Amino acid sequence: MSDDSTEIAEYRARARAWLEDNLERRAPGAAVKVRGTDHKSVEYIATQRPIQRRLFDAGYAGISWPRDYGGQGLSPAHERAFNEEAHPFALPDFGIAAGTTFGVCARTMLAHASPAYLSHHIPRILRGEELWVQFFSEPGAGSDLAGVTTRATRDGERWILNGSKVWSSGAYYADYGMCLARTDWDVPKHRGLTWFAVATDAPGVTVQPIREINGDTEFCQEFFDDVELSDDDVIGEVNHGWTVAQTMLVFERGAGNTSIMPRPSGRRKLAPDLVALARSAGREKDPEVRQLIARAHVNDYARAQLAARVAGLMRASKGLDAGVAAYVKLANGTYDPIRARIGLQVGRADALLWDAGDVDAMTASLNFLNGRVMSIAGGTNEVQRNGIGERVLGLPREPSFDTDRPFSEVVRNARSWSGRTS
Amino acid sequence: MDLDLTSDQELLQQTTARFIQSVCPLETVRALSDGDADAGPDYRRQAAELGWFAMLVPEDLGGGSVSGDGVLDAAIVAEERGRVLQPGLFVATNAVASGLVLDGTDEQRAKVLAALAAGEATATWAAAGPGGDWDVETGVGAEATAGGGYLLHGTKSFVQDAQTADWLLVTASGPSQFLVAAGTPGVSVRRLDGLDLTRRFSEVRFDHVELPASAMVGAFGGAHAAIERQLQVAAVLTVAESVGAMSHDFEIALDYAKARTAFGRPIGSFQAVKHLLADTSLLLETSKALSAAAARAVGSGGPEAAEVTSMAKAFVGDSALDLAQNCFQVFGGIGYTWEHDQHLYLRRLTVDAALYGEPAWHRERICRLHEL
Repeated sequence: MSDDSTEIAEYRARARAWLEDNLERRAPGAAVKVRGTDHKSVEYIATQRPIQRRLFDAGYAGISWPRDYGGQGLSPAHERAFNEEAHPFALPDFGIAAGTTFGVCARTMLAHASPAYLSHHIPRILRGEELWVQFFSEPGAGSDLAGVTTRATRDGERWILNGSKVWSSGAYYADYGMCLARTDWDVPKHRGLTWFAVATDAPGVTVQPIREINGDTEFCQEFFDDVELSDDDVIGEVNHGWTVAQTMLVFERGAGNTSIMPRPSGRRKLAPDLVALARSAGREKDPEVRQLIARAHVNDYARAQLAARVAGLMRASKGLDAGVAAYVKLANGTYDPIRARIGLQVGRADALLWDAGDVDAMTASLNFLNGRVMSIAGGTNEVQRNGIGERVLGLPREPSFDTDRPFSEVVRNARSWSGRTS
Repeated sequence: MDLDLTSDQELLQQTTARFIQSVCPLETVRALSDGDADAGPDYRRQAAELGWFAMLVPEDLGGGSVSGDGVLDAAIVAEERGRVLQPGLFVATNAVASGLVLDGTDEQRAKVLAALAAGEATATWAAAGPGGDWDVETGVGAEATAGGGYLLHGTKSFVQDAQTADWLLVTASGPSQFLVAAGTPGVSVRRLDGLDLTRRFSEVRFDHVELPASAMVGAFGGAHAAIERQLQVAAVLTVAESVGAMSHDFEIALDYAKARTAFGRPIGSFQAVKHLLADTSLLLETSKALSAAAARAVGSGGPEAAEVTSMAKAFVGDSALDLAQNCFQVFGGIGYTWEHDQHLYLRRLTVDAALYGEPAWHRERICRLHEL
């Protein structure tokens, strides 16, 4: 804070005063909830929208976003100052859709959508009236993002959308999905994609929660049956959706990294959840248990140091190549499963069977079930390894068999592909 | 290394690399390894002139470092040493110096510490008990004698360059520490064969060695703080040397994956090889981050230095073993030949992982530090 210019310092002081007068303070020491224990209802989300409206009316929404579309047009330093001051306060809680709305979709739209589109949607986003999720992955296409088969067919002045999307976190309470659809099947796959704004309550849209293995229903699947869209709903240019997707992927990388590590607070404690498990099983003097606890603790610390190093590397390269961000994702995808298994090894029977109400045991089993989420979601370990290998280490790219043939042909031949040309 | 080096520290890094390349490049290391791995007095003298043994010594005794953070600067030198598998004393000498700074008598500081900084004398640390026990109080017992002196008896292992060192800092049960001059009656040095071809380690026997009171460093039975400091310095500098060696081993394996072709393309284009290198790269980048964090923590000497040292040593130790094995796999058959450099790095990294505490030893230490 002592690095603030006078202008930022004054801005910060005004923000602090407004926050004190207008927002409630967060409960101190509120722990981050384990995935699967923090379901947000539609009713709860509705209570948060007026708070966002209050932020907007006071000029604290979209601080660095363009004034033309309802933002404040101020610098990242202003935004940082406000975020620092706001940390102890109860900002609007939109759950997983906060990141997708403000961190990913809106920023992507600001980079690619038309002025008319932005004039319509951005102010509504800033006022809390539009929450956005991503309609990106499909039952038939996850790692192969450009291989989507949800289709938007031209019909006079309209587009008709048919298909399905999956793994849309929070879609059950969102207002819109940013939807990637195929608009040309006769060109190679990357060249026939277009993004559309799809209202979740539009006729023909069905949002269905997915029951996850941890019992929660945060993810959703969507079905589109002859959904009508207009040219106003196109984000960016028709058939140039892959360029927009590249932008979105960069923003996505900076967003959700939801590891199963407990978030550290204050002085570093020795893997508190694992120590609690060990003590309640009376095994804290068992040499093997001690090794496991310390190993998990060391890995937790190592990941934090790696993240700091990668942040430094990205700052130094001025974002020229965000390939190094893959290290952090791969680290989470590598060490989360290890940590999850250690939880079981330390807890032993206690992590497999427990009395109702035993939070430590339940947490260990939930962490086990959630242990591979970071290995798969947001780019699998394998995709991260390709990224590191090719973009950071400079190894030759994968041979590709589908990038220069019409997509319709690729889909037809995929099952019987053998790779042999002779 | 650390990303936030000052320009002086970057210059130190470059100067160190240039010195090593011109005076003891890998071909010379290899040639020395076929003999007795002694870099010779000229190398030691030039290294001393570059300040290699002065960084942890106070200025009034002829010490000093480029940035004022002696441990971080020493880690920078250590990384460059590890990169080219440099023989000779560095880690042990700096560990000894750090102990003398805390506990040395005026005479010891003037006579030994100043001489180490100037390169006029060499010192090594007799720390591990027999069989490589890193509870450094084991192996040698010390009793006070009627004449006001002390009697040492026992055995120490993993003592680097004990045959040529002018001074041995011996850690005995108590704990107590003693500066033992080379040639002291009752001290016998037995050089052992080892996995690492680039460094010489010995077992040192103390057969009822009589020492004057002036040989003791610190209080009788009260050397805990100095020992902890020495362990931190030695572990952190070993981590830094490992990171340097890991970096080079990875670099040559990556180059190989790009150059070697099979089935009509570079082997690095095959996913199995590409993914192995990516996972190994992750270990290396994480190790670099930990090395920097540990050097800074020990340099600042704050309360977290003990734990951060052990976390870094445990992780980097395991990572070094994995990296060396993975690089071996990338090289395939050529990595199994004597003439290829891969085994030199495999050998050194494997010994480094154990020196000053294996990963499991440090993990147990972490539990104790947290009073589990």
